Amino acid sequence: MDVSEKDELRNGDTTANYDDESANNNNPPPDWRVSGSNQVSAPNDSYPPENQMMDSFGQTLWGNNNMDRSLEMGWNLLPPKGNGMFLPNASSFLPPPSMAQFPADSGFIERAARFSLFSGGSFSDMMNHHHQQQQQQQPLGNPTESIGLFLPSNVGVAHNDASAAMKESNVVRSSEQGNKQNVPGSGNVSEDTQSSGGGGGNGQKGGEASSKGFDSKKRKRNRQSSEAGQSHRSQQSEEEADNNGDKKRNDEQSPKSQGNKTNSGKQTSDPKDGYIHVRARRGQATNSHSLAERVRREKISERMKFLQDLVPGCNKVTGKAVMLDEIINYVQSLQRQVEFLSMKLATVNPQMDFNLEGLLAKDALQLRAGTSSATPFPQNMPMVYPPLPHGFMQQTLSSMGRNISSPLSPINGGYKRQEANGWEGDLQNVIQINYGAGDVPPDSQAAAAAAAATAASLPSSNMKVEP
Amino acid sequence: MASADKPINTDVPEKDVFALHFLQSLSNLRRQNAFNSPDDTTNNRVKKIKKAAYVSMARAAGGTNRLWSRALLRRAAKENNKVVIFSRRKKRVTWLRRSNRRDPVDAERLRNLLPGGGAMETSKLMEETAHYIKCLSMQVKVMQCLVDGLSAK
Repeated sequence: MDVSEKDELRNGDTTANYDDESANNNNPPPDWRVSGSNQVSAPNDSYPPENQMMDSFGQTLWGNNNMDRSLEMGWNLLPPKGNGMFLPNASSFLPPPSMAQFPADSGFIERAARFSLFSGGSFSDMMNHHHQQQQQQQPLGNPTESIGLFLPSNVGVAHNDASAAMKESNVVRSSEQGNKQNVPGSGNVSEDTQSSGGGGGNGQKGGEASSKGFDSKKRKRNRQSSEAGQSHRSQQSEEEADNNGDKKRNDEQSPKSQGNKTNSGKQTSDPKDGYIHVRARRGQATNSHSLAERVRREKISERMKFLQDLVPGCNKVTGKAVMLDEIINYVQSLQRQVEFLSMKLATVNPQMDFNLEGLLAKDALQLRAGTSSATPFPQNMPMVYPPLPHGFMQQTLSSMGRNISSPLSPINGGYKRQEANGWEGDLQNVIQINYGAGDVPPDSQAAAAAAAATAASLPSSNMKVEP
Repeated sequence: MASADKPINTDVPEKDVFALHFLQSLSNLRRQNAFNSPDDTTNNRVKKIKKAAYVSMARAAGGTNRLWSRALLRRAAKENNKVVIFSRRKKRVTWLRRSNRRDPVDAERLRNLLPGGGAMETSKLMEETAHYIKCLSMQVKVMQCLVDGLSAK
C-alpha cells in the first residue's frame, strides 16, 4: 500500500509538474522515478498514518500546481500538528516547480541519487527522526540545514531563488529560533531540495549515518552562509570579500534600490578616522564636487525623513518642496500656539501671583525634609544647597498638572532675591543671590529650592549664594 | 572628504525641565515687578511672558548646545542690552566649507523661522529644526498645563 501510494504520488507528480522542468534535472528525476519503485523499505511501515495522510495530501495538494500555496499550507499545518503532518506535506512536494538547476557536480549527483532512493516515507522518517532528535531545538532547522547543502553557491537563477530561500531560512533561523518563522522559509527550501529527492535523508537506517555526515557538512556550509548573512545584516555592510554570491543574492532579495551597494559602501564607515568613504555610483560622475554634493544631498534627504516623522500627518507627502512647506507651517503653528498661550497666561493671572514659590517650596521640602505636609515649612531648616533629585521636577510637574488646586501656604514674594541682570543672569554663569535680612525661613527655603533647582539645571553655571 | 555621519541626536529633556525653567522665569518676572510699571498693558505683559517662555525653553532644551537656543538667547540678551557670554566646552571649529555655498533659495523660509537659521548649512538646519520642533511642542504642553491649572482654580 505504501508503495502504491508512492507510485501514485510519483505519477501525479511527474505528470503534473515535473515535466516542465528541464534544466539539469534530468539526472535526478529519472533516478527518482526509478528508484521510487524500488523502495520498499521498512521505515515506511512505521508511518502508516503518515502515509495515509500522504495519500490524502498528495491528492489534494498535488492537484494544484501552485506549489507555493500548497507549500504554505503544508508548512502552516506543520507547527501545530507536530511530526506527523510535517513529513507527508514535505514529501508530497516532490518535484518543485522551480526545481533548481542543481549543479552537475558529480558528488552532488551521487548524493542526489542516493537520496532519491527513499520515498516520501523515508524522507518523512528521516525528518521525523531528526525532529525527534532535536525537539527542543529548531526541529525545522535541521531539515533546512540538510536541505541547504544541496544548493551550492554558484548556480543559475532558480538556484539563486533556492539559495536565497535557504539563506532566508538560515537567516530567519539564526535570527529567531522559533518554529513558526522557520516554517515558511524552510518550506521554500524544501521545495527545491525535494526535487533532488529530499534534502536531508537517506533511507532510514542506512541513510542515517550518511545523513548525519551530510548534515554536518551542510551545517558547516549553512553556518558559513548564515554567518555571512548575519554579518551582512549586522554590519549592514556588504563586504565584497565575504561570500560574493550570497551578497549578490541578498542584494537581489532586498527591496532596496540599485544604489544599495554603493549606499552600503558608503556606510561601511570607518569610524576610526571619522570619514565615510564614498564610492561613486555606477554611471555617475566621479568628480569630487559631485560626490560631495551627493553626500550632502543625501544627508539632507535623511534629515527630511526624520522631520517627516516628527511633523504629524506628513507621511504621504513626498517631495522636498511640499515637505518643507509642511514643516514651515508646523513650526509657525507651534510658535503661534506659544504666543496664544502666553496671552492666555497673562490674562488669566494678571497679578502673576502664581504661588510658584509655594509650589516649588512644597515639593522641594517634601523631597528634602521628608516631612509631612502638615507643616510644609519647617522653621529651622538650614539653608542647604542640595542637588535636587530628579524626582523634584517630576513632583513639580505632577502637582502642576494636577490643576494646582491647593495652594499650600501662599508665599507671596516676601523674600528678596536679586539676580544679576535679571533672569539673564544665568546666562553669564554667575548668579548672585542675596538674601535680605530677616528672611522668613520658608522663604529662604523656597529661595534655596529655587536656587538649587537652577543650579541643578544649569550644570555649567557657577552659583554664589550669599546668605 | 565627508565628515563622519553621526546619528541625528534630537533628545529633548523631560517636560519637567521645561516646566521648571518656565516657572522660574515667570517668577523672576514677577520679582522684577515687571508688571507694575505704568505702561503695563496687556500687550507688554504678553510680550514679556512670551519672551520668558522662549528663553526658558532655550535654556531648558539645550542651553548652549544647540545653535538655535544659542541664537535665541543671544537675541534676547541683545534686546535687554545685555551681553551674553557663552562658555564653549569643546572647541568647535567652524570653517567655511565649500559646500556651504548652498542654494540660497533653499529652505529660505525655514531659515527665517528658526532662530539663528541664517548661518547654518541646510543639513544642519534640518537637524536644528527637528530639535526646535520637539522643544516647541514640549513648551506648548507645559504652558497649556499651566494655563489649565491656573484657570481651573
